Amino acid sequence: MAAQSPIANGDDPGSLQRLSLIGFDGTIPGGLIVHPDRQNLIYGLGDTVIIEDIGTQEQVLLSEHTNKVTTIAVSKSGKYIASGQMTYMGFAADVIIWNYAERVKHCKCSLHKVKIEALAFSPNDLYLVTLGGQDDGSIIVWNIETKQAICGAPAQVLSAGSASCVVFANNRDDLFVSAGLGTLRVWTLDVTNRKIRPEEVSMGQLKRDIRCMQMSDDDSFVYCGTTTGDLLGINVGSKMFQYIGPEKERFSKGVTAMALLKNGEILVGAGDSTVATVKGKDNAFKRTKKSKKLNQAGEVTSIALRGEGHQFFCGTSKSHIYQFNHSEFKETLVRTAHYPAITDIEFPYGTSELFGTSSFQEICIWHRATTQELRRIVVPNMTCNAIAFSRDGKYIASAWSDASVRFFLPESGKFIFDIKQAHKREVTALALTPDGMHVISGGGEGQVRVWKIKECYTNKGKTYTNELVGEMKEHKATVSCIKVTEDGKSCVTASKDGTCIMWDLERFVRSQIIFANTQFNCVCFYHGQNQQPCQIIASGTDRKIGYWETFDGSTIREVEGSLSSDINGMDITADGKYFVTGGADKLIKVWSYDDGKVTHVGKGHAMAVTKVKICPNSQYIVSVSEDGAIYIWSFPH
Amino acid sequence: MLQEENIYNLIPREEVKPPKPARYTSKFKQMAREERQEGKSGYKTMGQAKVPVPTTDNFLKKHSKEPKLPPREHVFAGEPFTYPDADRRRPPVPHKEDKPLMGLRTTKNFITNNAVGNIMSVPKKPDKNFVDTRGGDKWPLDPSGLEPKFIHKKDFGQTPGYLVKRNKEVIRAQEEYEAYIAEHFRRGAMKQLSEAERQVILAGLKANWEEIHHQYQGLSVVTDTVPKKNRKERMEAEMKQLERDIETIEKHKVIYIAN
Repeated sequence: MAAQSPIANGDDPGSLQRLSLIGFDGTIPGGLIVHPDRQNLIYGLGDTVIIEDIGTQEQVLLSEHTNKVTTIAVSKSGKYIASGQMTYMGFAADVIIWNYAERVKHCKCSLHKVKIEALAFSPNDLYLVTLGGQDDGSIIVWNIETKQAICGAPAQVLSAGSASCVVFANNRDDLFVSAGLGTLRVWTLDVTNRKIRPEEVSMGQLKRDIRCMQMSDDDSFVYCGTTTGDLLGINVGSKMFQYIGPEKERFSKGVTAMALLKNGEILVGAGDSTVATVKGKDNAFKRTKKSKKLNQAGEVTSIALRGEGHQFFCGTSKSHIYQFNHSEFKETLVRTAHYPAITDIEFPYGTSELFGTSSFQEICIWHRATTQELRRIVVPNMTCNAIAFSRDGKYIASAWSDASVRFFLPESGKFIFDIKQAHKREVTALALTPDGMHVISGGGEGQVRVWKIKECYTNKGKTYTNELVGEMKEHKATVSCIKVTEDGKSCVTASKDGTCIMWDLERFVRSQIIFANTQFNCVCFYHGQNQQPCQIIASGTDRKIGYWETFDGSTIREVEGSLSSDINGMDITADGKYFVTGGADKLIKVWSYDDGKVTHVGKGHAMAVTKVKICPNSQYIVSVSEDGAIYIWSFPH
Repeated sequence: MLQEENIYNLIPREEVKPPKPARYTSKFKQMAREERQEGKSGYKTMGQAKVPVPTTDNFLKKHSKEPKLPPREHVFAGEPFTYPDADRRRPPVPHKEDKPLMGLRTTKNFITNNAVGNIMSVPKKPDKNFVDTRGGDKWPLDPSGLEPKFIHKKDFGQTPGYLVKRNKEVIRAQEEYEAYIAEHFRRGAMKQLSEAERQVILAGLKANWEEIHHQYQGLSVVTDTVPKKNRKERMEAEMKQLERDIETIEKHKVIYIAN
């Protein structure tokens, strides 16, 4: 997607100031790296490469990629960072080399297609080897200084599978190794003749899919981790496979990350979230006693040594970052993030310090200032589509894809009760009335239902029951957003069938309906001078933001919300002067309500923005996106 | 539920430490210091400034420093000491200078007598002991139960006398009780007809039947009138009744007469 003008019309808008970012893409193999200066973590998130100070947690974002970053590498001296991306079929996938000291782009290398699989720097920062993906199948060597490609070659023979990792020698600038499914090659670089020459490593009968590699310090051996869960020791000099292990105690779900320690041990991360050390001894690999299985962490996709490895970080596919102390082999969970798309975001009433987010399987409560996760509620295999906090703060209501509405205690995260089969299909939208006694839920089939929550005291303590008090069947498709007025007597629902309906919550009938040629994603009340909800704004897939009168449903105005893609999230300030939108164009836009003009634009999201919220005291904007990232922006007005 | 959960409690708060209270100082500090100083200063000098002069009547007296014992209560002045068991004691051994009563002296040679007694005496049997371990302690055998003692008793294996006596008493009491019960029943029971009485009744009944039968045989052959017929029928009924009674009494050997 090319850079585009974010302005719909009018003057040049200012840019939003980003305060912090919560997110980590754990699916990149080796995607979490400690910079050689030992002070900064480097990781990817969507189309961004993030450099984060370990101590102060200050983040610098390097975002020039046009799509998801698939691989990251840091040169041995730490001078350069390289990152590769994926793109659409048939298009060129870029590799960008960044200058670490200045945090700017050094050069862009685009010869590969579709996807960059792996990157490796030569030890003296002279060359960069890039490995293309399955659809590209080539390996290219670049001169970093001249920013030119030196030469390229097919990465593997046609009969072999695709290569997936590449590693450079530690002492020589002319030797590197590539490996993958059924291929393992040692390459020598001849710069003067602009040639790279491969030599196949003879593996005998052994067939393995190699996913990670490490070169020993003296360049004599290459250690490979395989999907089978064992390690291979390859002699680089003779190009011979030498030994395999650990026999009989292979790593479950494959070896997914490796790191070499100075004492000759190999740190191994496995697909079953095990982190262990392996000793290469007597032509065999043996597991040592140091082994730890991380709790519910997914695959260990990267192990990053800090310095010599006395401390190291592990990144997992579920976006956890663990900090390990090597001597005690004890882990601390230092960072968590959502790994799937975030579906909703909500502030508790009246506070800007906390907010909750929901995604596949989980609800998280975050502290805004420290960006730390405070609580996590997990319901396996369900997607939480929406959450709401009761105004008294006593419970969290959440809408789930298994058609039930679940309630949780906010501090302990304990499940209190649920409304089973609340809708015929999944529950897609949810709102609580200001008194907290009624839940309004919208379903995938288009019904809007009102439930009364009753507290009762039994000998077991406080329990809750629910009662269906109202059922409103007007929408023909998924209800995407519900907003309730301050008095709790009416609400507005937006639906994918192209209607927004205002409901009377006392008689459970429609009071007003708005038709548009769109699929509505979001709707907001505008409170006028008399604090009455006199107008609504809504937007959806037609990229237009519509203003409507609540009194008679007449259109006031329509403005172009985005030039390219649909709008997913919208929120309005309490005084109604400004509103914020976010959409699939990855931009956050702050609008002046009266002018209908963009005042500020926030760039940074790597994927489509799913929801955006202004905090209750109008100081921050929080936006979430499909890649699991949470951005916190300062509100400009 | 002790405290209801609330989302707002999750907001991390900066812990405000209450300022430390000032260090404790005793309010008596000054007083204690002064007192201590006061107490000390008297001995810090070469002695008290003014020592009271001893008076002439307060001189040191004999035994005045000895401990004084409490007076003995039960001993009265002048009475000689007596032991509490003086009345049960035997008279004292005569003194060597006492004269024998009436000048009588024994001629018994105690030395020879004792020697002869010892020579003739049966030697003491050694104690029956057992030793628990080698080089261990010895214990008297008799109370240990290791020696079979009780099976050599004369009445070993016999029912003890008290049990025999008691069993007899039990049997006697049972008999008495049964007799009493039988008597009781007998008193309350119906009168039984004795064999003789039965025979008498039986004979009487048969005699009666014989008599009626005799009359019956003497009836006219033709019963042509009502009185004749009535008579015959009455006699037949009486005979029948008698036959039935005889049969009843003959059939039952034991007959009770209801009260």
